[in-house]
Amino acid sequence: MNILWLIMICASLIFAFFNGRVDVINQVCLNIGKDTFDFVLPLVCTVCFWNGVLYVAREAGMIAALEKVFHPFLKWLLPDLKEDEETLGYVATNITVNMFGLGSAATPVGLKAMEGMQRHNPKKDTASRSMVTFLVLNTAGVTLLPTTLIALRSEFHSLQVTDFMPWAVLCTMFASLVGIAVDRWWNHRD
Amino acid sequence: MIDSTLILPALVLLIFIIALCKRVPAYSVFLTGVKDGMGLFLDIYPALLAMMCAISLLRESGLMDIISGLFQYISTAIPSQIWPMVLFRPISGSASLAVLIDIFKTCGVDSLAGMMASIIQGSTDTTVYVITLYFSSVGIKKIGNSLSIGLIADIAGIGMAIFLTLLIFA
Repeated sequence: MNILWLIMICASLIFAFFNGRVDVINQVCLNIGKDTFDFVLPLVCTVCFWNGVLYVAREAGMIAALEKVFHPFLKWLLPDLKEDEETLGYVATNITVNMFGLGSAATPVGLKAMEGMQRHNPKKDTASRSMVTFLVLNTAGVTLLPTTLIALRSEFHSLQVTDFMPWAVLCTMFASLVGIAVDRWWNHRD
Repeated sequence: MIDSTLILPALVLLIFIIALCKRVPAYSVFLTGVKDGMGLFLDIYPALLAMMCAISLLRESGLMDIISGLFQYISTAIPSQIWPMVLFRPISGSASLAVLIDIFKTCGVDSLAGMMASIIQGSTDTTVYVITLYFSSVGIKKIGNSLSIGLIADIAGIGMAIFLTLLIFA
């Protein structure tokens, strides 16, 4: 990431020098800090509202109820964790919290799940089968409520803020399905 | 066809009715949620500033047009502004968010490109980042085929997003 970032900036600057666009670049350098601040702040404030709503949902036991729904499914996907209810719980929480777009709340739980899986791992420097499946579930996971995206679209005064949602949900389900299918097919061992 | 403006109010209503039935101290819980959300600013701002800077420079220098122009040969139906989005989505969350904001600014949020970028952003997570973070946290060096599978799923999600947008919104 470090190298990519430097290359992107250096290449643009060099290109601008030869292109005679230095004055525009100058403007970018002067204004980018404030411009970014100007939309990140309202963005965070809108996301805060959803964070509040989702905390209420969690307190009302809705996220726990969803976890129970996934439990049998996860037992089938992660067979070597069958005995370890605790780790399986972390996995379920991570996937469910991710679904609701609470990405920052999902990461600590996800790392706990990885620790739990590492305990069952015979080769400590190699990814176990469960880890691969879990990460596929995580990265290709279904997102039902992309809070940041909703906030961003309303900030740009979209006339149809939520129009994309049914289609995005369809796409994330498709991505998860493909991910799980490829994982099953590729890592099938028993 | 369901009215999409119903989604959010209906969701909030559902959550609050269940909270009412279970006698959750909703007001104070809501405040805690908002308070925790404010911490997000410190998480997002530094990375997004770095990426916005790089993306703005790429666009203003004209380099972005040249790169997007190369991809234009693949398909003319796909708006050229989408390609940076497709390239950055699996690698970095803040980079793809920066491209998304850039598209909203230049093409408009409800344009075909804006719609397509929104669906792409919502369709997958940042595979490379998540895999690096999770595996390094427990000290695993051989990551098996997780990266390939993650990227295949990303391609499927993004491809589906482009296809659906062209089908529905074009």
